[in-house]
Amino acid sequence: MANTTKLNVIFGDVTLGLSGPGFHYIFAYDRGGLESLVQYGKEWLYRTPKPAFWRATTDNDRGNGFSNKSAVWLGADLFSACTQIDVAVDGQAIPLPIAPENNKYTDHETAEMVAVTFTYTTTTVPATTVTVTYTVDATGKITVATHYNGATGLPELPVVGLRFVMPTPATGFDYVGLSGETYPDRMAGGRPGTYHIDGMPVTPYMVPQECGMHMDNDQVTVTRATTQNNADPDRTSYSLTVRQAGKPFAFSCLPYTPEELENATHIEELPAERRTVLTVYGATRGVGGIDSWGADVEPQYHVAGDQDHDFSFVIDGTIKY
Amino acid sequence: MKAEISWLDDPQTFRINQLPAHSDHRGYQSVDEAAEHDSSLVQSLDGTWEFAFAQDPQHRPVGFYDPDFDRSDFDRLAVPGHIELAGYGQIQYINTAYPWEGKHYRRPAYSMGADQPEKGMFSEDPENTVGAYVKRFTLAPALQNKRVSIEFDGVEQAMYLWLNGHFVGYAEDSFSRSEFDLTPYLQDGQNLLAVEVFKHSTAAFLEDQDMFRFSGIFRSVRLAAKPALHVEDLTIRANVDDAFETGDLQVALQLSAVDQLVGSVKVSLLDDSGQPLWTAESDAASKLKLTTTINHVHLWDHHDPYLYQLQIEVLDAAGHLIEVVPYQVGFRRVEMKDKIMQLNGQRIILNGVNRHEWDAHRGRAVTMEDMLHDQLVFKENHINAVRTCHYPDQDAWYDLCDLNGIYMMAENNLETHGTWQKMGAVEPSYNVPGSLPQWQLAVLDRAKSNYEMFKNHPAVLFWSLGNEAYAGDDIAAMDKFYHDVDPTRLTHYEGVCRNRIYADRISDMESMMYDPPREIEKYLQNDPDKPFVNCEYMHDMGNSIGGMDSYIDLIDKYPMYQGGFIWDYIDQALWVKDDLTGKPVLRYGGDFDDRHSDYEFSGDGLLFADRTPKPALQEVDYYYGQHD
Repeated sequence: MANTTKLNVIFGDVTLGLSGPGFHYIFAYDRGGLESLVQYGKEWLYRTPKPAFWRATTDNDRGNGFSNKSAVWLGADLFSACTQIDVAVDGQAIPLPIAPENNKYTDHETAEMVAVTFTYTTTTVPATTVTVTYTVDATGKITVATHYNGATGLPELPVVGLRFVMPTPATGFDYVGLSGETYPDRMAGGRPGTYHIDGMPVTPYMVPQECGMHMDNDQVTVTRATTQNNADPDRTSYSLTVRQAGKPFAFSCLPYTPEELENATHIEELPAERRTVLTVYGATRGVGGIDSWGADVEPQYHVAGDQDHDFSFVIDGTIKY
Repeated sequence: MKAEISWLDDPQTFRINQLPAHSDHRGYQSVDEAAEHDSSLVQSLDGTWEFAFAQDPQHRPVGFYDPDFDRSDFDRLAVPGHIELAGYGQIQYINTAYPWEGKHYRRPAYSMGADQPEKGMFSEDPENTVGAYVKRFTLAPALQNKRVSIEFDGVEQAMYLWLNGHFVGYAEDSFSRSEFDLTPYLQDGQNLLAVEVFKHSTAAFLEDQDMFRFSGIFRSVRLAAKPALHVEDLTIRANVDDAFETGDLQVALQLSAVDQLVGSVKVSLLDDSGQPLWTAESDAASKLKLTTTINHVHLWDHHDPYLYQLQIEVLDAAGHLIEVVPYQVGFRRVEMKDKIMQLNGQRIILNGVNRHEWDAHRGRAVTMEDMLHDQLVFKENHINAVRTCHYPDQDAWYDLCDLNGIYMMAENNLETHGTWQKMGAVEPSYNVPGSLPQWQLAVLDRAKSNYEMFKNHPAVLFWSLGNEAYAGDDIAAMDKFYHDVDPTRLTHYEGVCRNRIYADRISDMESMMYDPPREIEKYLQNDPDKPFVNCEYMHDMGNSIGGMDSYIDLIDKYPMYQGGFIWDYIDQALWVKDDLTGKPVLRYGGDFDDRHSDYEFSGDGLLFADRTPKPALQEVDYYYGQHD
């Protein structure tokens, strides 16, 4: 059935709201990103998604000095700020609609499609930018396109991704991809299939480190049962699906940020699992294995800092075809 | 003879009154017992022992072995087990440096000159902990009025033994069986056995393996009675002709008698369904050799580990059966042909792992359950080979490898890493054993113990001289020993790559560790003399095993590339109770205030320390499956 509904557009003073049947999204100019992603009354975002540059140091990264050489990306992962916001309605760029620019709108604005682009400037020297464009259509489908601008002089990256922190822990996730934990240089043994994972297992490496990567996925569906909304006693499971846009993507779904993992020397030092950290990756460094005290990951599994990296994916809307 | 504590300081004193090493066969009183593998000639001494701990030799309970000694303040300790895991003595993990790094300045005896014996290094060491063990036993009926020996399967690192107040003997080499004759000192009724275990002796220089450093009686102890006529040693050679059709079986026996060597021996070979194929009889003699050929022999290999059953029956002069010795026989041929190692005429491809004995509750005192689990993991993941890094394992492990067709690189208990590599650099200025005559007999004894004990296992394809001990005349002598006694296997040693002037005298294969694939390829492209094996590769520390295809690809490209052994099988970490939460947690090096330490370097396994698989195992399964 063809969809004839249009997006409701709320030109707020500090945010841009978009809604339709079963969904409501808020892009916050002051927070520099997508602040709220509500489907069927359930909030999916704890804070605005940010570009991901860091991974918790693996033993191999430590041994060969990768983390020393690439330490600037830890700062960039934590502190890169949104420095520009662009909005386009039905393919036409418009001036950023904050007050008083938004005085020209009404309480019943609609559109076929709205795109919001956030530009993040890294804290690296030299600095570079990452743009994240959310294009929302009337079904609530969000197409996310991320572009990392390579810059000469930047060290290799652990990862390039986009990190979504969700307010409460997932009860599990289902994906169509490869079995087990896979990396670019360790995925031959992954068997293609549809997999269900209970909870968000942190691989219990003796020293907590990068883990839980899933390469080559068509889709992942994260399921939660709880919210932080005091007025919502419902504990029925609900889900959000991310799917590929043209080519398979990598993701991890963990209860921790890389920084939380980085700080622990034992798994029991990690905090209680309170949130869901879903990161979608456009590029990720291999894990290596020749040795753990100097040998680098093989060159084809590096992530260059001086080259562009692009990736896209889709967050399903509420109207299915 | 009187026990001397100075033996701890002398590399030339490492076995006193020990019985000669021999085959790991077991004697039974009847065919039924043999079938059940339950020998009434054996009496286990595992269990609770009396125990006293001393921080150093000066504070040890001198004379505790005396029946009249007041041991009322002794504790109780479970044998087998590590002293440290029972709460005595600090747990420490360290890799290459010696455990006393930063605490004692030490050079091995004679390493700085023949006039520098370093007396008192361990006998007066204020940190050389001591365990005084006492066990009372009464001989079971079947052992009474027979010759009785005692077998210690593993005691770390030096032990003195007394029975009923009499000094019996002394042993080093933590990972080889030490056996003593108790017969002269046994008494009716209760006997009092006393073992004094020192954490360190000069053996410490030879046992610098990358592992937690423990002490104590960590493997089983048992009494074994010898009937009036007894098979002391058994050497089985089960080869095959050039057509791989006809088996050639040679069985050599050494017999001992309580008095006169009279009686007879019947030797049979049965197939795996119990059908006898061959039987021979002979009068008893101190040395016997029986041979036969087997037509259409069923060969042993990884995919079809077919085992025949050898049965030796010993009869006394009256014709009564007094001892039965069973042994599994696998016919196979290991050889170097056109510079390629072959098994039964086929190129060997090693889909291997290095395996430390490890159990997160029990340290290296692993259980049969652990071993069975490990064999299952091998089977499920196309692992066809194991290197017993870096010491001989419990003998049951060799039986399981025979049964399941796992190719073994049977390694000696030897690593002297800290004597030749410092801060990553090769610096052998005080290396032992090197070419020092004062250290040669000790390492040769280790080679002999390894050979004699495991020589009859078809699974053992390679003798490994040890790990990371550099190279000199002493290791060359070990290589020569193996070739002299055993033409049916090949030798392995990686350390010769650090001192290539010994290349012609040490190791039949070129062995490297952690060589990048492109370096291996260079070697293989340069018309090398020896086939290549990775004795350690794919270092699985934490989240690892990336890029394995670069190694696996070499298998199809270069016939002289014969695979290798992943480092390693299981993380070394220990369950402890978390003080904060009361929950069990896994702890690793440095978590016991142990310094100097190598911290998380203890965790390089395909399995986590609790034996759950790491995610990388599916990658190993995939790639090892390509050439299985």
